[in-house]
Amino acid sequence: MQDSSPHSFVSIPLSSLASLSRRTFLQRSAAGIGLAALHSLVGESRGALPNHTPRAKRVIYLFQSGAPSQMDLFDYKPRLQKFRAQELPDSIRMGQRITTMTSGQKSFPVAPSIFKFAQHGNSGAWLSELLPHTAEIVDDLAFIKTMHTEAINHDPAITFFQTGSQIAGRPSIGSWMAYGLGSENRDLPAYVVLTSKGTGRRDDQPLYDRLWGSGFLPTQHQGVKFRNAGDPVLYLSNPPGVDRETTREMLDDVNALNRIQHEAVGDPEIAARIAQYEMAFRMQASVPELTDISKEPQPILDLYGPEVRTPGTYAATCLLARRLAERGVRFIQLFHMGWDHHANLPKALRGQCRDTDQPTAGLIADLKQRGLLEDTLVVWGGEFGRTVYTQGTLTPENYGRDHHPRCFTIWMAGAGVRGGVSLGETDDYCYNIVRDPVHVHDLHATILHLMGVDHLKLTYKFQGRWFRLTDVAGNIITPIIA
Amino acid sequence: MPIATPPSVPEIVLFLGRFHPLLVHLPIGFLCLLGLLEALARFPRLKPLAHGRGVILGLTLAAAAFTAACGLMLAQAGGYDAALLQSHQWAGIAVAVGCLLASFTHWRGLTRAYYGSLIVTLAVLAVASHYGGSITHGRDYLTQYAPEPIRELLGEETAPAPAKVAVVEEAVVFTQVVQPILKAKCAGCHNADKLKGGLRVDTLEALLQGGQSGPVIEKGDAAKSRLVNYLHLPVTDDKHMPPAGKPQPTGDEMAVLAWWIDAGAPADKTVAELKPPARVTRALETMFGTAEPDMPPQKLADLQPGIEKLSAELSVSIAPLSQTEPWLACNASLNTNFGDAELAKLAPLKSNLRWLDLGGTKITDAGLAPVSELRNLTRLHLERTAVTDAGLACVAKLRNLEYLNLYGTATSDAGLQQLRRLAKLQKLYLWQTKVTPDAAKAFAADITDKQQLHRWRQEIEDIKAKIRTATLDINVGAQLPPAPAQVAAKPVNDKCPVTGKPVDLAKTVTHEGKVIAFCCDKCVACFQQNPKPLLAKLNLTPINAKCPVTGKDVDPAKTVSHEGKVIGFCCDKCVACFKQDPKPILTKLNLQAIATK
Repeated sequence: MQDSSPHSFVSIPLSSLASLSRRTFLQRSAAGIGLAALHSLVGESRGALPNHTPRAKRVIYLFQSGAPSQMDLFDYKPRLQKFRAQELPDSIRMGQRITTMTSGQKSFPVAPSIFKFAQHGNSGAWLSELLPHTAEIVDDLAFIKTMHTEAINHDPAITFFQTGSQIAGRPSIGSWMAYGLGSENRDLPAYVVLTSKGTGRRDDQPLYDRLWGSGFLPTQHQGVKFRNAGDPVLYLSNPPGVDRETTREMLDDVNALNRIQHEAVGDPEIAARIAQYEMAFRMQASVPELTDISKEPQPILDLYGPEVRTPGTYAATCLLARRLAERGVRFIQLFHMGWDHHANLPKALRGQCRDTDQPTAGLIADLKQRGLLEDTLVVWGGEFGRTVYTQGTLTPENYGRDHHPRCFTIWMAGAGVRGGVSLGETDDYCYNIVRDPVHVHDLHATILHLMGVDHLKLTYKFQGRWFRLTDVAGNIITPIIA
Repeated sequence: MPIATPPSVPEIVLFLGRFHPLLVHLPIGFLCLLGLLEALARFPRLKPLAHGRGVILGLTLAAAAFTAACGLMLAQAGGYDAALLQSHQWAGIAVAVGCLLASFTHWRGLTRAYYGSLIVTLAVLAVASHYGGSITHGRDYLTQYAPEPIRELLGEETAPAPAKVAVVEEAVVFTQVVQPILKAKCAGCHNADKLKGGLRVDTLEALLQGGQSGPVIEKGDAAKSRLVNYLHLPVTDDKHMPPAGKPQPTGDEMAVLAWWIDAGAPADKTVAELKPPARVTRALETMFGTAEPDMPPQKLADLQPGIEKLSAELSVSIAPLSQTEPWLACNASLNTNFGDAELAKLAPLKSNLRWLDLGGTKITDAGLAPVSELRNLTRLHLERTAVTDAGLACVAKLRNLEYLNLYGTATSDAGLQQLRRLAKLQKLYLWQTKVTPDAAKAFAADITDKQQLHRWRQEIEDIKAKIRTATLDINVGAQLPPAPAQVAAKPVNDKCPVTGKPVDLAKTVTHEGKVIAFCCDKCVACFQQNPKPLLAKLNLTPINAKCPVTGKDVDPAKTVSHEGKVIGFCCDKCVACFKQDPKPILTKLNLQAIATK
């Protein structure tokens, strides 16, 4: 290795050749050897962005993984009580597909929500009794009651929300943002992911790291997940006997070796590796300060509810999200698991709401009093909705709901979002959209728009085709933009 | 303001009268032409010009007569300064008479008398014209901008124009702000000489008195003051003032007038005493020319090398807000060592900085001075810094500021008052400061341009009304459900018990609770005469052996038919129970299919 000249193609070790992708090989052959420049690696940002003055400088996406039930939380359907236990009419279902979990069911009895609804705020938004804290911030929220998606099962659906495609492999929305807008803070990743387990169904649904992957974008733009138990980032502290200077010297040497290899092979993954090592080194200093909440005053902690001191809870991640936002992180994504309530929905939903209601409302209130809500976009939502008919037996106290992609509710708040509005309307069965449908691509286009990015213009060429997050669709949801 | 027409004057008189300002230029022109002609004809070579004298003289006479007549009619309309009108009227008549005299002397060949009368008429013409001009444009129209010596010569008052005000706050609102506006935009028609609508605006007393239709100022309520309302009417509106074509007041001027009236239209209060809201302060600064000029941004391409150097040197992020505009956003909040010295180094970017985040930095009041130079700044973060009220004086100069974050600073109620001048401020964050909620609320109410809000709300209401009048609401009422078709109860038999033919569903008889059908009226009559033998032919055995209500044995006499089926009960009570609500009993009998029908 040491005697292989970095400028000689023939001297590349066989092992390197094996890992050389066809694309890299062709690029290198065409443009000569050692073409990749290293200077653009750190704090990278697209020169041509933003396309217009942004409303939001950062996003906090509160992903409710597993799909919360829209008609038990937001989409109030009082007339459904009349149809209790009756069959879902064919005129409503219209032969639409259902999942294999209920397709064997002989009957599809309608299960109206057993939870009480009331109007809140000046906007008079209807909310379930399960969300008493959210009720206090409704005037800051824009509800979209007519979200719909193309996927009917969790993985394709969450992949669709994350990447704009049901098939895994495309860059995630946070990666697009990190790639397009870069980071204001060199010491933290531009895209940070925090996960938490819910009390509803602790183990459902699993989350894969590829959900925040960078796809074909350079790897340093992938989301960095902070662990929800123990150290948020593993191996962050130096081993005994190694101080920061030593680590620095070691990294300098490793980087020098990597540069040699990079010039020889031209694989962009090596450049990504160098960038990641550097980021990790800086995070050794920045993360302990970030995750140390000992200086947070008690009244602030109280905003987020009693679980805020327990690492790995949704409350703890919400507080961390605010601290990340304050430190200029571009895209902060929380995933709270446990919303997949096929059976025993009332009990499980109560648990999930207890986990999330107060921390969510606390986060919004905390962002607001600090003036951060002005340039932070907050999005709350799952990957699809749930069915109006019960899965399993319907009793007066219990029911379950299957996956329903045809309509569900999400909300947005903060930068550039008009608070106190409710967009769209579903039918009396909360099954079909009556007015103003909003597609996943539309949501993506809107998030990008608020971040100052034209979703038609943020593109990346891969395998001979220009790709974008919104594929070949996407309309900005103008009614919710202030 | 509309001129109230004296009821005694016929409209045709007023109509013809309004031709006076048009016709008046004809005799003036003709007479001047005649004078010029006569003067030139004195030269021997131009002598032939004198031949045109007769024609011109005739035209002049006719024009002068018509003009004078129209003038007399116009005078009927009123609304003019009486003394001035009187002078103009007599001078005008004198011109007409002079023309007549000149014509007569010319006709009689009295050359000397002709020349004499012509010269006198021309002199009177000058006098009449000046009076006429004074009526239309105001008495000091001609001399207003005359050089000082001439004005003195003419005995005009030489009150100097309002002194240039060095400090806007010290200007007396009425004399130095309001009066000049009224003088420039209103006094042309509403002065001591030309009392249109009976209104004078040249003194405060006259202004407060109002015109023919009452007061124009409601002290303390500009929204109810006609002076303000008429300015805001669309130019096309008849009542809009000043009339279309005259110089219109600017938005700034209207805002100032409204503010002065809202403050009670005082005579001697200064700007500072009336505490102008931000919008008015800006208007005043523009009017007095004390506003700082706009600072156009530099080209980003020129700044680019400097940006990169500064960004690295100061460890801050400096990036363009967008690629379509030249603005920059600087975030220094991530560098906790950023202080006054570092802030001063941003000076080269001052014309391009739009957003500046100094949150959590080591910035102090003393070092905040460079911020006041950032005139294009719209967002400023000063939260969690050592900035106090003293530093806010610099911030108060940022007239484009829309967002200001002061949370976690020592800002107090007093400091808040300095921010009054921030006319474009939309968001102000004061969490964890010394500002009391009451003071913050009062400040927000104080800084709001209530006039403007009120007018916009009015406009919204007007537009809503327009939409209402422009839409046709058709009411056809709710659609009535179709009346249910009378369906005959299903009989127990399908063959006529008399003839054996198929039954006609319209020919049924209810016999002891059971519906029996026949083929024709004849058979019905037959049955009614003697039912017994025919009943025997029918199968009237109930489908059930036990009463569905009590479970006792069925009494064959207590049966009823329901949808063609015969149901038996034990007693009349149970029959009545069934007739009242058959559903539960049918369900019990497993006749659910019938029940749902």
